[in-house]
Amino acid sequence: MLSLLTQALFLFQETEQISHEPEEEVSGIQLLLPHTDELVAGILAFAIIFFFVWKWAVPALNKTLEARQAAIRSEFESAEAAKVEAESLLTDYRDQLSGAKTEAEQIVEEARTAGDQVKADIVARAETEADQIKDRAQDEIAGERDRVAGELRRQVADLSIGVAEKVVGTSLDDEAQRELIDRYIDDLGGVH
Amino acid sequence: MMDTTAQPERVNGYASALIDVARAEGDAEVFVETFYSVAKTITGNQELRDTLTDPQIPVDRKQGIVSDLLGVRVDGVVVASVNFLVAAGQAKHLDEIASRLAELVAEEEGSVVAEVQSAVALDADQVARLEAALSKATGKRVQAKVVTDSSLMGGLVAKIGDTVFDGSVKSRLDDVREQWG
Repeated sequence: MLSLLTQALFLFQETEQISHEPEEEVSGIQLLLPHTDELVAGILAFAIIFFFVWKWAVPALNKTLEARQAAIRSEFESAEAAKVEAESLLTDYRDQLSGAKTEAEQIVEEARTAGDQVKADIVARAETEADQIKDRAQDEIAGERDRVAGELRRQVADLSIGVAEKVVGTSLDDEAQRELIDRYIDDLGGVH
Repeated sequence: MMDTTAQPERVNGYASALIDVARAEGDAEVFVETFYSVAKTITGNQELRDTLTDPQIPVDRKQGIVSDLLGVRVDGVVVASVNFLVAAGQAKHLDEIASRLAELVAEEEGSVVAEVQSAVALDADQVARLEAALSKATGKRVQAKVVTDSSLMGGLVAKIGDTVFDGSVKSRLDDVREQWG
């Protein structure tokens, strides 16, 4: 199509050149300005090209651009949404983190309190048990001491009385026996 | 089943019967005196008492022991009475029967019996003074029945019914032992 147009333009130019011979002398500003034919042909060509461009190229370009724009806008929007979501999530996470931190502190505090309580309980129980053991030991010692003292007293009594019995058995002769009995008879008669 | 505690009526019955025997034989007082001291001597000897109360030993063997021990030293009626009680299976109640016998005789005379254990034998004067002292102490006429028990070590113990007058060295030492123990 384009080559067809170019060919037409050349033909037209050749025709123009043939019709304007012989060529006139030009000077001044005319040197810069194109020939009217060229100008017309150029304008015509430009118009044709412009027409094609405006008719197909621009819409296609616009379409592409719009699609691109839409895509970018869409991306932008999704990015925006993602950002908002991310911020929301971040806030949530921060809240959760803060909550978790508080909770953790609370748990630690509770654990510490419980630990202190357990420690205090153990110490108290240990003290009580120690006191009980001590008391029991003291009771046992006292009991054992009393038992030994009683046993010793009994043994001393047995030994002493054993000795006394032997002494009495040998030292009480007939006279002493008689006196003992007489004295008891006298006591019996006197007291009652 | 062995009956270790005497039935009062049975003891009383044997004691009454012995009084009748004594009266039939003559001098009841001497009989009671002799029987009492024999009975107390027998029951005061653990081995002899165990032998006479042992159901495994035949009665004639027990009676032989009694006759051998008492023999001619003691009145034959007393020996026969003891042998009768042994044959009747009352050897274990000999002590109580003797005590009851003495009580019955004393009751007839309006007095009570003091069963006296003494470390050494008492002479007549001591017995008389003891009876006088016990009469004064109890307000009753007292007949003392004395047996000798060397385990008292010294002094004497007089028992009238449930009342005990204990003037023995043994009980004094026991008191001391009790206080210290």
